[in-house]
Amino acid sequence: MADGSLPARDGPYSSLTRSATAPIELPSPRLARSHLAPEDAFTSQLSPRRDRGAAVHDSGNELGPRTTRSKLGSRSRSRRRKRNWKKLLWVKQSYPDNYTDQATFLENLQRNPRLQPYEFWPLVADISVILQQVCSVTIFVVCFVGIFQERVSPVSVVGWGSFATFVGWLIWDNWVGLEDEDEVLQRRRSNRNRAAREQPSRRDRPPSSVIGLSPSATASVTNLAAAERAYPQIAIHHSHSTSAVSFQSGLSQASNTARPPNDLSDEPKHRSSSPAPSGRTAMRLGTIKSAVLIYSTLLGLSPILKSLTRSTSSDSIWAMSFWLLAINIFFYDYSGGVGVKFPASLSTNAALMASTVLASRLPSTGQVFSLTLFSIEVFGLFPVFRRYARHQSWRYHVTLSVLLVIGAGAGVGMILGGEKDNVSPLKSGLLGVLVATLIAIVAIGGCSWWLISLQKYKNAINGPWDQARPIIISRRLWDDD
Amino acid sequence: MPRRTYNIAMVCDFFYPQPGGVESHIYQLATKLIDRGHKVIVITHAYDDRKGVRYLTNGVKVFHVPFAIIYRSSTFPTVFSFFPLFRNIIIRERIEIVHGHATMSTLCQEAILHGRTMGLRTVFTDHSLVGFADAGSIFTNKLLKFTLSDVDHVICVSHTGKENTVLRAALDPLMVSVIPNALVSDDFKPLPRPEPSSLPFAQHPLPAHPLGPNDTLTIVVVSRLFYNKGTDLLTAAIPRILENHPNTRFIIAGSGPKAIDLQQMIEQNVLQDKVEMLGPVRHEKVRDIMVKGHIYLHPSLTEAFGTVIVEAASCGLYVVCTAVGGIPEVLPSHMTVFAKPEENDLVAATGRAIAALRANKVRTERFHEQVKTMYSWTNVAKRAERVYRGISGDISEDEFYGAEIGNASHWSATRGRNFALIDRLKRYYGCGVWAGKLFCLCVVIDYLIFVFCEWWWPKDLIDIARDWPRKPPANDDDE
Repeated sequence: MADGSLPARDGPYSSLTRSATAPIELPSPRLARSHLAPEDAFTSQLSPRRDRGAAVHDSGNELGPRTTRSKLGSRSRSRRRKRNWKKLLWVKQSYPDNYTDQATFLENLQRNPRLQPYEFWPLVADISVILQQVCSVTIFVVCFVGIFQERVSPVSVVGWGSFATFVGWLIWDNWVGLEDEDEVLQRRRSNRNRAAREQPSRRDRPPSSVIGLSPSATASVTNLAAAERAYPQIAIHHSHSTSAVSFQSGLSQASNTARPPNDLSDEPKHRSSSPAPSGRTAMRLGTIKSAVLIYSTLLGLSPILKSLTRSTSSDSIWAMSFWLLAINIFFYDYSGGVGVKFPASLSTNAALMASTVLASRLPSTGQVFSLTLFSIEVFGLFPVFRRYARHQSWRYHVTLSVLLVIGAGAGVGMILGGEKDNVSPLKSGLLGVLVATLIAIVAIGGCSWWLISLQKYKNAINGPWDQARPIIISRRLWDDD
Repeated sequence: MPRRTYNIAMVCDFFYPQPGGVESHIYQLATKLIDRGHKVIVITHAYDDRKGVRYLTNGVKVFHVPFAIIYRSSTFPTVFSFFPLFRNIIIRERIEIVHGHATMSTLCQEAILHGRTMGLRTVFTDHSLVGFADAGSIFTNKLLKFTLSDVDHVICVSHTGKENTVLRAALDPLMVSVIPNALVSDDFKPLPRPEPSSLPFAQHPLPAHPLGPNDTLTIVVVSRLFYNKGTDLLTAAIPRILENHPNTRFIIAGSGPKAIDLQQMIEQNVLQDKVEMLGPVRHEKVRDIMVKGHIYLHPSLTEAFGTVIVEAASCGLYVVCTAVGGIPEVLPSHMTVFAKPEENDLVAATGRAIAALRANKVRTERFHEQVKTMYSWTNVAKRAERVYRGISGDISEDEFYGAEIGNASHWSATRGRNFALIDRLKRYYGCGVWAGKLFCLCVVIDYLIFVFCEWWWPKDLIDIARDWPRKPPANDDDE
């Protein structure tokens, strides 16, 4: 009986309009399952009430007819049967309580109303974000193994890593600058338009209030926010000075927002030129300062980290770091755009802990320092860069993905192949790249195809019994989440 | 011909002394059924020191069985532990029909299962709407499907509720009746109005609502302040309504987690003199609050029936409500203004209602009498009695389910005419690949417990309780 009631297997996106519970094998369900005489069913078929709202309003202002009807109708049962059934509770129906009206029963049922069928290539593009993260983790593990087996010098790992981070920072800084200039331009244009119009009404200002910002203030505020975003470790490790100061200045600048919008149209003329570059410079200086701080902190902490888990056996460390890195991959914020403030703190913290326990297996202070610094670069800063790259241009994203796959593949190949001395590391590295590329393509394509093929099992039932989603426009100021 | 009367056991976790809609529904229905000559007992769990047997007004016998409460006054679902006690009560009171109430009540679900095992007719009344999306609803729906696989009849409080229940439990729509809630209309009378004859000069007709252009119009909200009652909508709409209509004020009764948002809104917009928050009120006081106002605003996001809007209309208030769930079925549209569950639409609908009242277009003084004719517990009891007669076979199956369908084979297996264990197992087996087998296992164990009880506590050793003196059955079959 359960299966007969819901025709779930009649195709992926079939829209079920009504009467899902009517048994399918009935020759004519309209006639067979009602208390109506055949001719009644015929007439009701001619004028099916499609819209419940209409039915409500039809029956609305007719109290007079209703009372007369009940006087009339109570006399002859056969006459009353002719009247249409209404989906209303306050009307005295001339049908039994378990009467099921075939025309209106379940007419408001919707199946998969908000379904957006996945398409292959966008899905592939989205999966590549996961691929990037997996590859980053792989590269980190490869670097650890290389350092652990003393096949790679830790200084070269961290040197190259830091160099790449520095280059990435320069590029990122450039992007942010470009973005802000765009924003400033747009805002200036919109301000001019607004000034041309009369001043806006008092209460209709959107709560996000980007309009109210003076351009320079936005530039610096976003920069500061971005700086904090880029270096979540600043907050983790103790560098209160920079972040606090920058936050303060951010606040003071942001308080400009409260200014009424009408005295702001003249503001860009005399303020836009000077403070923005100085804000940028201060931000850069702050970044360098915090980088130096992290660097020296790590340097100081390395001896402690080195002996942190000496009493623990290596097996537990491998298992633990495996799970921590798995947590990193599973809880990573794959959907976050560039505006996320502290993306997926669980994921980042798990990765940093994994790197800490792994680093504690290493024998020398230099190695510990290198690995920890490298992990901060890989797990803390690199995701920010990747997010911006994806935001900036699709081409950067693809290039980055390809590079990561190649890097991870080559690394794994070299690590695995290098144990036997008869194979040259170059050869095994190339083999690794080949295998990694194949796996990546198969995994991405296969997963996308699988997810798409699973779509036909989706069967979400919605109807008037669902809790409505309220649409509230004027979010009050205290709802700042 | 004397009508047959039944011995009915209402089973639900929710009953007095706890206040609430389901509780009063059970009590009112029981009282009215007793008035019609039936015998009704209520089985619920123990509330604090209230254990054992109590009698309520009109001879409603209440059994408070001792069971542990785990969540929102539902008992712990032990499935079988209730059976021996239940069997004892049923035999003592010579019960013929078990009538369970409310989806979330485990006691009710277990009683329906045991009742069928003992060969009794079972009815289930569903008071709520449950979606299909989240894990909690899926679990609830699966449980409901288990219970309702073998039930004689189901009663829902609105047509939307019927659609919902039919989908959730995969039922034959013909074994689901729609019997709305009702209200005691004498408890919800509007303020007395001056007699036309006592006025110095006759005004024909009396103005619908004596509301001058400068009089303050009061909007009443009586609701628990929860998310699903639409308090967010209310919070967003109140400042805008008050801005558009300066000569208006709000009275809000009820408490809940969203009360803080309302308070903040009041302080933010400096509306202390326009919005009055009364906090929690008892159900008896609701009428006294309602009659202070002209408009009742009900911004709920989901509602199976919405008794409170009927109460408001009965008090002579013009009702503004969101068109969700079963609400559009409840009141005629000359008493209500419907809004979509959106802030803008709610503000606009309230504006329309205010304009209509100020223009004296709404005859709110007639609402009470009209509502009185629409909803009464006597009517509900009469309609429930038809269900009892139908499942007991006192109305022929053709008449109860419809002539054409009586012979059709596809649903007759599910209608629960048959108590044979193998047929019951067949019904349960269809519940799902794994669930079906699990349910069958439960039913078999339940049956074994029943057999054991029959042997350990034989039926003839159980005393029969004396009945409360019955009223002569009211013979009012036509209207």
